[in-house]
Amino acid sequence: MKGKVLSLLLAAAMAASLLAGCGSAKTDEGSEAASSAETEAAAEGEAGTEAAAEAEAGKNPVTLKTVSMFGGTDPNAGVYQAINQEFMGEYEYITIEDNSQSSDEDWKASVAADFSVGNEPDVIQYFADATANTVLATDKFVTLDEIQAEYPEYAQDTLEAALEAVTNPDGVRRAVPTTGYWEGLFCNKDLFDEYDLELPADWDSLVTAIDTFKENGIIPIACSLNNVPHYWVEYFLLYAAGEADYITTPGEAPESWVKGLETFKTLRDMGAFPEDTDTVDNDYTGQLFINKQAAMQLDGSWFAGSIEDTDNTVVIAFPGLEDQKAQAGAMVGGISSGFYITKKAWEDPDKREAAVRFVEAHTSKEAVQRYWEATGAISKAAVEVDSIDGMTPLALSALDYTNGATSICAPTDSRLGQEPYAVIISNIVKISTGSASADDVLNEALELYAQRSE
Amino acid sequence: MRLINGNGKDKKRKKHKISTIVIYVILTLWALTTLFPFLWVILNSFKESSEVLTSSFSLPQNFSWNNYNNAFHRLNVLNAYKNSFLISGSVTLGVMALSACMSFALSRYRFKGKSVIHGLIVASLMFPVFSTIIPVFRMIVAWGLLNKNIAVILPQTAGNLSFATIVMLGFMESIPVEMEEAAYMEGANVFQVFTRMIIPLCKPSLSTVAIFSFLWSYNDLFVQKIMIRDNTKFPVSTLLEEISSQYGTDFGLMAASVTIIMIPVILVYIFLQKNIIRGLTAGAIKG
Amino acid sequence: MLYKRRWPLLIFLVPGLLFMFIFLYVPFIENIKNSFYDMTAIVEMPGTKWKFIGLRNYRKLITDPDVGTALFNSLKMMVLTILFEVGIAFILAVLVSQVKKLQQLFRTLYFFPVVISATALGLLFKLFYNYNGGMLNQILEYFGKEPVNWLSTELAFTMICIPTLWSYIGFYFVILLTGLSDISDDLYEAAAIDGCNRFKQVFYITLPMMKPVFFTSVTLAVTGALKVFDLPWVMVPNGAPQGVTHFLGTYMYQTTFSLSNFDYGSTLAILIVVLGIVVSRMMRFLTKDRKGGE
Repeated sequence: MKGKVLSLLLAAAMAASLLAGCGSAKTDEGSEAASSAETEAAAEGEAGTEAAAEAEAGKNPVTLKTVSMFGGTDPNAGVYQAINQEFMGEYEYITIEDNSQSSDEDWKASVAADFSVGNEPDVIQYFADATANTVLATDKFVTLDEIQAEYPEYAQDTLEAALEAVTNPDGVRRAVPTTGYWEGLFCNKDLFDEYDLELPADWDSLVTAIDTFKENGIIPIACSLNNVPHYWVEYFLLYAAGEADYITTPGEAPESWVKGLETFKTLRDMGAFPEDTDTVDNDYTGQLFINKQAAMQLDGSWFAGSIEDTDNTVVIAFPGLEDQKAQAGAMVGGISSGFYITKKAWEDPDKREAAVRFVEAHTSKEAVQRYWEATGAISKAAVEVDSIDGMTPLALSALDYTNGATSICAPTDSRLGQEPYAVIISNIVKISTGSASADDVLNEALELYAQRSE
Repeated sequence: MRLINGNGKDKKRKKHKISTIVIYVILTLWALTTLFPFLWVILNSFKESSEVLTSSFSLPQNFSWNNYNNAFHRLNVLNAYKNSFLISGSVTLGVMALSACMSFALSRYRFKGKSVIHGLIVASLMFPVFSTIIPVFRMIVAWGLLNKNIAVILPQTAGNLSFATIVMLGFMESIPVEMEEAAYMEGANVFQVFTRMIIPLCKPSLSTVAIFSFLWSYNDLFVQKIMIRDNTKFPVSTLLEEISSQYGTDFGLMAASVTIIMIPVILVYIFLQKNIIRGLTAGAIKG
Repeated sequence: MLYKRRWPLLIFLVPGLLFMFIFLYVPFIENIKNSFYDMTAIVEMPGTKWKFIGLRNYRKLITDPDVGTALFNSLKMMVLTILFEVGIAFILAVLVSQVKKLQQLFRTLYFFPVVISATALGLLFKLFYNYNGGMLNQILEYFGKEPVNWLSTELAFTMICIPTLWSYIGFYFVILLTGLSDISDDLYEAAAIDGCNRFKQVFYITLPMMKPVFFTSVTLAVTGALKVFDLPWVMVPNGAPQGVTHFLGTYMYQTTFSLSNFDYGSTLAILIVVLGIVVSRMMRFLTKDRKGGE
């Protein structure tokens, strides 16, 4: 209440001072209203010819606010945009205002902030695991049951196992997934051939490869420790701790986890990372790998979509660590995200159907097939996909890799949640130089996790 | 005697000349450091990304508008310019009006607590925006103003107010009061004195305040990023920061983005630069 | 006479003060409150309650090594701004005042970097410093030298300071130049007749006459140094490499917006403001003292 009064006072003061200053202030006063009226008018204009038909159906123009993780250089982004365009062509009364971005810690934090202050979109593609806990806490998603009660065809193409995979930590289903992912080691095979190296299959051969590349002026591993060390964190933890200990969240950092993260220092001391790994970002190191300036990159299946030389690039299982506890071929991956409809859209009679149709357009068999193909036809799809002809050597190697996987585990952030996980990520550079102890960092994160799950 | 004398003068003149040349050389070198980066970035904005990395000094192999097309095509740059000008224009007007009033009050009236208020204004120079943003964000949300231009305008106006008031105050204090008293004798009231005498006299410092408010508001990515969370409503700086974070390896596109941000402010500055110098110093010296 | 009646004072003073109060002082007080709670989100959501944690954040503040680095860097930055920003600006101003032609052009060009947003400058220098094909390494390559990692732990701080300092020299240049032009030419002429060379003129006339302008510039520079944030953040986020380039501003930003640790971020914000007020008080004290001595 106090806030309201203040804001009124302020607005009045502001308006008065602006008017005294210059007549042009008027345009500003009305700008918000004007611009929103403009977009609406534009939407109406576009729909002009169809207006009559739509009027019969009784549909008011709808502006749907959408957010996805298919942004930037993600190969999914092209498909996502195309489907949006087709969607707006089919439903002329719907305008999509999309706000997609590739996901990183800052973005996750800002989504959480948006949800907590009531600035959530109508539809969002977001994580389903513990990463979503801060967002789930705001209780703004509609459950799958509720949607299917009214729209029985919703998520019909999606496989049961895929829906099971994106069940939220509280056991409720809300999201509809498109494709899954795995994380694997991408290798520039031509570089390995050039220096007579075998693709690494264990820790020792990995070390040999790193040493040889290092001597020949090739960056052994493309990775930005300051930006996205996530994949290495996961595999270090997984292989050092073994599958069973990896997927539990202990109260205190186990020795194996600590040892796993300390491998960052071992690799850094060997000169495995780029000279400027502390300052560059993930896009930049990805470019190093694509340009063949770097030999290996641990990354997610989506990375396959941006690789140009699919003939000489292969993906293989994580080679392993000294004294590893995980079985060779243990893999990090799964289906971790999906499309949600928010209550904001669901409770708006005009938007409800638009939102449902939008999610259907992105999760139908046909759409998922397109996403699957755009990312190199190598990830796990959430629907029954038709296999494609002429698979590239890269795709074939990925198929080998995934078929040979001995276990599949979801990554640590799916259990810890965004805030505690960010503590680990932000300290990787320090762990790699030895200026922070892995023990302290893990304990800080686990302690925060314990506080948040109270 | 005459000869020697002449020689000495020559020598002196020669020495003078040499030192003048040295001064020009130094000044020109510095000017190059301030000019070069901009020429470099404009040059590279016409190149392919790979070309930027291999030969950033040569002229573009094929002069292409591709990067600009790309930026304008991918993003609604014109709409962003509109948002930026609405926001920064309002901030400028708001700051001018409020700071003129405040400094008028502080320079003309004697009252209890004046030094306290003066102290508070100077102290608020110490508040970096990022130190107050979380509570301000909460307020903006509570008032339902998120994603609206006004959400940027209000905190930016407050943030620029202290600098502006200090500049204006210095200037106003240097204006003699006698004329105002004379006007009063002839029947003018305080508001007439303020609007008809003081404001016109303060033009130089007002335009300084205007330029800096505009510049700082336009360039202030931080508040824009926090308050405008909907990319259809982004102002220029936010929009282009988005490019660089999403397409960080496309150096050609980045160079073009930087150019797109720079052009309007350079124009504003070149138009108004004469005033900047007079207004700023008058305030700063006395303040 | 005119200003005897006090009531218009309210109209002139209140709107501006209200603005400052609501958007600067109220948030500052709210920060203090927040620093004692464990904030689980940016706003307190209905149904949740933030836990009171007492002085935990302040204890962390004292022991956090990153705060040490950030504080040290920010203080270092203050000294550097005085030496280099104000110093170079003064030299340039004196030199420009000595020449007749092209004065206007130099003024315009020197102010250029002030006009450009720190984000744009940051991107620009990022392109300069790139290890792989950045401008500086292209130059080295041209001369057949090995590329240098300009943002290594040893070099990073210097390389970040260069653009940060360089970009605002023009601002102080303009202030100082006008200060210079206010000194009457008669003084210099008299000195010249007495046989003072140009160097001596600067030393005996310019410097003493410029004292007040200097103090203004120094105050602005010192407070500006505390606010340093966007340029370093764009070039080397998260205090990269290895946290050596953290300033108080960047560290506060990372804590709040990357790590979502809002309460600790508020604590850092308090530190920044308090430090700023202490430093500006000190500056004022010094200035007053000197003025009194004259």
